[in-house]
Amino acid sequence: MFLRTARHVIPLALAIVALTAFTACRGNERRQQTHASAIEVTDDAGDIVRLAAPARRVISLVPSATETIIAIGAVDRIVGRTRYDVAPEIATVPSVGGTIDPSIESVVALRPDLVIGWDTDKRRQVRTKLATLGIPVLSLRTQDTSDVFHGISHLGRLLGRDTAASRLAASIRSQLDSVRLEVTGQPVRSVLFVVYPDPPMTAGTHTFIDELIGLAGGRSVFSDLSQLWPTIPMEEIVRRRPDLLIVPQGELKDDSLARFRSRPGWRDLAAVRAGRVATVPADLVQRPGANIGNAARVLQAAIHPETLRRP
Amino acid sequence: MTHARALLAWPLSLRLLVLALAASVVLIAAVRLGAVSLTFSSVLQAIAGRGDSTTITIVRELRVPRALQAALVGAALAVSGATFQALLRNPLAEPYTLGVSSGAAAGAVLTVVTGWATRYVWSLPLAAFAGGIASMLLVFRIAYSVGNKQTLDTRVLLLAGVVVSAFLVALIWLVLTFADTESVRAAIFWMMGSHAGASWRSVAILGVCLAPGLLVLFALARPLNLLAIGEPTAAYLGISVERTKILAFAMATLLTAASVAVSGTIGFVGLVIPHAIRLLWGSDNRGLLPCAALAGAAFLAAADTSARSIAGANELPIGIVTALIGVPCFVWLLRRPATR
Repeated sequence: MFLRTARHVIPLALAIVALTAFTACRGNERRQQTHASAIEVTDDAGDIVRLAAPARRVISLVPSATETIIAIGAVDRIVGRTRYDVAPEIATVPSVGGTIDPSIESVVALRPDLVIGWDTDKRRQVRTKLATLGIPVLSLRTQDTSDVFHGISHLGRLLGRDTAASRLAASIRSQLDSVRLEVTGQPVRSVLFVVYPDPPMTAGTHTFIDELIGLAGGRSVFSDLSQLWPTIPMEEIVRRRPDLLIVPQGELKDDSLARFRSRPGWRDLAAVRAGRVATVPADLVQRPGANIGNAARVLQAAIHPETLRRP
Repeated sequence: MTHARALLAWPLSLRLLVLALAASVVLIAAVRLGAVSLTFSSVLQAIAGRGDSTTITIVRELRVPRALQAALVGAALAVSGATFQALLRNPLAEPYTLGVSSGAAAGAVLTVVTGWATRYVWSLPLAAFAGGIASMLLVFRIAYSVGNKQTLDTRVLLLAGVVVSAFLVALIWLVLTFADTESVRAAIFWMMGSHAGASWRSVAILGVCLAPGLLVLFALARPLNLLAIGEPTAAYLGISVERTKILAFAMATLLTAASVAVSGTIGFVGLVIPHAIRLLWGSDNRGLLPCAALAGAAFLAAADTSARSIAGANELPIGIVTALIGVPCFVWLLRRPATR
């Protein structure tokens, strides 16, 4: 008798769950529509961010965006950062945790009027949570150099520093142009950017690193791979014979060359045998922000050292 | 899974009272503690809706729903684990034994990789829930197709659960091998489990899902006791064995799938809380199931509170905390001589 009633409970419960979940999501969509205001930006996730006035209390969950904010002279607006930030200017600013797993209550406690989030967070948990609490979130993509320029212009608008932002963008463009100009006429070197050596991982095409390598007169031996950060088999690296390895330092410890010389597979590469392993500062080349001009310069020094004018 | 000797001969009402008190203390601590330090009086004011609006948001919109979600999930996993252990007559059985977690993970990963999780926030929990249920149905289908097709052989069921689980995990990693780094990251974060996404809505949905499951299982405690002795005996004593098994499995799976959908897979609670309660007070399911519910609620709410307050703003994955705190406690309990 009891069992028979209970058997009807299961489908009923399932139906209730499905229904609640469905109505819940509709409520969420409605909440995002607010009245028109002074500043309006469509962010990289396609959402509209509206502010009544330039943001005065900003929490940046994206380290490259933090660097951009500093570069447009708005460091005093940053009230929160992540544990990944390295800029000395904000060393005393409280951390709210990680980029995709911040402590939401720490974020709320800092009373931000804008949070810079990461569009690449596939679950959108942080964004959804903050949106329901009424905190505006600007989602930034951090894939290629065009994302960097979008980010600079979005941050300039929302922080009321348009002029500084366009000045910054112009100076980055001129840095990139001068690198491009200086390597013109040089042979294109085949490069392997080693994000991680075991298992080997590189920067795929469509990443800003790949773009900057191209700009600095190199060509990734894996520029045909469409994944952003592909893991690649060692034998494929051997087959493609990169002329130069570029290794971000900071991820790996010093003397990368010695390490590669001791690793099976790697030590047989012509580039490693001939000592053509260039190290570049990881913080510089792995943060798609205001520093990409300098990153391009560093890559130019690694790929075509002969083109750098001696002072 | 026979009746272990209990450490303490407390009446059930006393046990429930003590555990309810413990759970209440933990819940108060969960609302009191967090990455942001608040005074006790400001927390009390915030609960009443007075004082600083930021504090009210932190307490009422973040801490309270999160503590409740952790408690609900803890209760559900503990009861589900106790049920699986009783049904499968295997001390290593836990809520994920029949592949619910891998099925849920497969659903979750599917929404992450296809990008649905980004477009529709609710698709991930829904797919995880559906995946968990589907994997259990598959396991049952396999178990029924083996041997005598009228009855369910729990040993076959256990094996089917293990292999289906292994298959699904392989499938997940096959998909993730070709997925982009961000999807892999999102999937791994999800699989580690967290209550960071808790909201009043998730608590309400969870409550609606869990209530029937918990009530049905509490009501099945006596048949479960008889099943634990042996299926022929249970049948002889007038239990409709097959129906009881199916209903209990279904309800335990419902509890697990709903929990996994809101918080990802959280290990250890479902395995160890029932054993701890058995060690303390014996394995009579009539006492075990409600006690496990309260103890699981207290334990997981405590673990979540530690996870989000120990390292300041850096939240620890909750699975780390449950195992790091839980294992020493459990070993201590296991080594204590029986005093009767």
